[in-house]
Amino acid sequence: MSANKILIVDDEDIIVRLLAMSLRSDGYEVVTAGNGQQALEVLEKEAPDIVVTDIKMPVMDGLELLKRIKELDGEKEVIIVTGHGDIDSTITALQYGASDFINKPVRDEALAIALERAKTKIHIREQLEGYTKNLEQKVAEATEEIRRRASFQRLLIHSSNDAIVAFDREWKIVVFNPEAARIFDVPAGDVRNKMTIEDLYLPDLAKMFKAEAEKEKRQGEMPWKEMTLNLKQGGQFPVRYAVNVLHEKGEFVGIVNFFQDLTEIKRLENELVQSERLAAVGQTVSGLAHYVKNILIGLKGGSYVVDVGMKKNNMEKLKDGWGTIKKNIARVSDLTQDLLTYSKEREPEFEPCFPNEIVQDVVNLVYDAAKGKDIEIKADVAPDLGEVTADPRTIHRSLLNLVSNAMDACLEDEDTSKNFLIEVRTYTEPDNTLCLEVRDNGCGMDDNTMSRLFDPMFSSKGGKGTGLGLLVTGKLVEEHKGRIDTESELGKGTRFTIRLPFETVAQETLETGQGG
Amino acid sequence: MNKKVLVVDDDPDVRSFVVTVLEENGYSPLVAHDGVEGLEKIKAESPDLVILDVLMPRGSGIRLYRQLKTDESLKDLPVVMFTGIALRSFLKSQKALEEFNGEVPKPDIYLEKPVEPEELVQALKKKIG
Repeated sequence: MSANKILIVDDEDIIVRLLAMSLRSDGYEVVTAGNGQQALEVLEKEAPDIVVTDIKMPVMDGLELLKRIKELDGEKEVIIVTGHGDIDSTITALQYGASDFINKPVRDEALAIALERAKTKIHIREQLEGYTKNLEQKVAEATEEIRRRASFQRLLIHSSNDAIVAFDREWKIVVFNPEAARIFDVPAGDVRNKMTIEDLYLPDLAKMFKAEAEKEKRQGEMPWKEMTLNLKQGGQFPVRYAVNVLHEKGEFVGIVNFFQDLTEIKRLENELVQSERLAAVGQTVSGLAHYVKNILIGLKGGSYVVDVGMKKNNMEKLKDGWGTIKKNIARVSDLTQDLLTYSKEREPEFEPCFPNEIVQDVVNLVYDAAKGKDIEIKADVAPDLGEVTADPRTIHRSLLNLVSNAMDACLEDEDTSKNFLIEVRTYTEPDNTLCLEVRDNGCGMDDNTMSRLFDPMFSSKGGKGTGLGLLVTGKLVEEHKGRIDTESELGKGTRFTIRLPFETVAQETLETGQGG
Repeated sequence: MNKKVLVVDDDPDVRSFVVTVLEENGYSPLVAHDGVEGLEKIKAESPDLVILDVLMPRGSGIRLYRQLKTDESLKDLPVVMFTGIALRSFLKSQKALEEFNGEVPKPDIYLEKPVEPEELVQALKKKIG
């Protein structure tokens, strides 16, 4: 134990010396004083842990000393040595805060016990002081940490790029960060702890999030979704949003909404699409120049033949040249149409139509041309496919493009012993999918050609293709929310399948139509 | 006796144009739709010159040219070669020609469409008179 320095105060020198001797032999360090006044001086100089004092002394007695010591240090252990029957002094000493009493004559054992008690008290007090100090420190540290975390979280929420809106269990808004204030265009101060979910959101949205809270029995995160956020005061934002339903010990405590403003992203996406389209058109231009030149050559050649026909009055030549000119005028017209289709956004115009009839139209349209090139073309349509709602122009243009490609594929085939055949099929797949298939047994394509089919201005037909045909077909089909699949084998043939969603025309409409 | 010139081209517009130019300038035109028919006509009619479109379906223009230039009895038959029109096809035909450049001489006359009637006639006059 650390309390080792003891001050003995007594005016009887012999007692002081005896006690000092005895305590030193017990291992204590001992300082002494002959009266209270002296004792205070020694106390100041030596700072003993425990004071043992007699009461009756000259100059300053023990009670006065006790009083002074306690004034200086209320915790100091002071043991009073009392004479027999000195009850008054004892009571006074108690009132002044004496730690302990031992009777005169002082016996070593009694003193030893009193000292041990004092030492124990000092020790406990020291420990307690240590603990208290430590505890205060710890509380201070913890408080600081909590404060720091809270401020970090506040900062995090405050500076988040996401709009964060949190509701408590009463659907009152408790968190509303600056980004939320920006998106919803209300100052945070007007919202936080003042508004409820219904005050901020339109009824639909509030209902949706409330339903979400009902649904989510456990703590859950909804995946990010996109929507158009309509504001109460008008205006709208494309946003990504997420909902976190918060539970504590199984109990609903609130909900957090995150919103990300997609306006800029959408704008950039649109720009990208636009610039990609422009780039595609740019690539197209160089190839187109050659195609246009090709048409010009036709027109020039045709007009030369017409000139000769007129000069010689040769009807044959006139017809011939005029035919060439007309054919090339048609090519310009087709080209213009393709270019317009490709460069413009076009919404499909849905209307009731009979896909099987369109297929027959296309087959009839190219039948003679195909026959002239020894190519057989036939339609194989699903008999149960009646009237559907779709864009007949998309179907017609796409099929015509694919069929004309199929004819080219037959003409390019090295193997002339084949009986060239082009088949146009219709069939349906579940979920109202209309399938239009164009199959040929022509030259087929290698993987490289296949992979570039829908590239702008890619043509495997030399000067005879604009490179726009499949591009336009692809775009039409895409706008119709459909898709095109290609299968091909070099030397064997190619199969294109267009899949378009359609709606069946109600039977009664059909009957009414037929009846009328 | 007019000189006989065979036009081998799959494009009827080109055939009609070239035939008219030939007629107008005192040649006797013959026509073939592809390389196979072209070779038959050459053997049957022995034309004085062939105007050949390089880019025809099934690569038959290139093939006919090679057949002509590697055949002892036909290799001196003058050939006016028409190049394809689009840049891509022009390069394609160039490449195809280079593939047998070692064994086959370059075409006697190499004309790129569009060809003015005078240009064609000049080339013919220079070659066969």
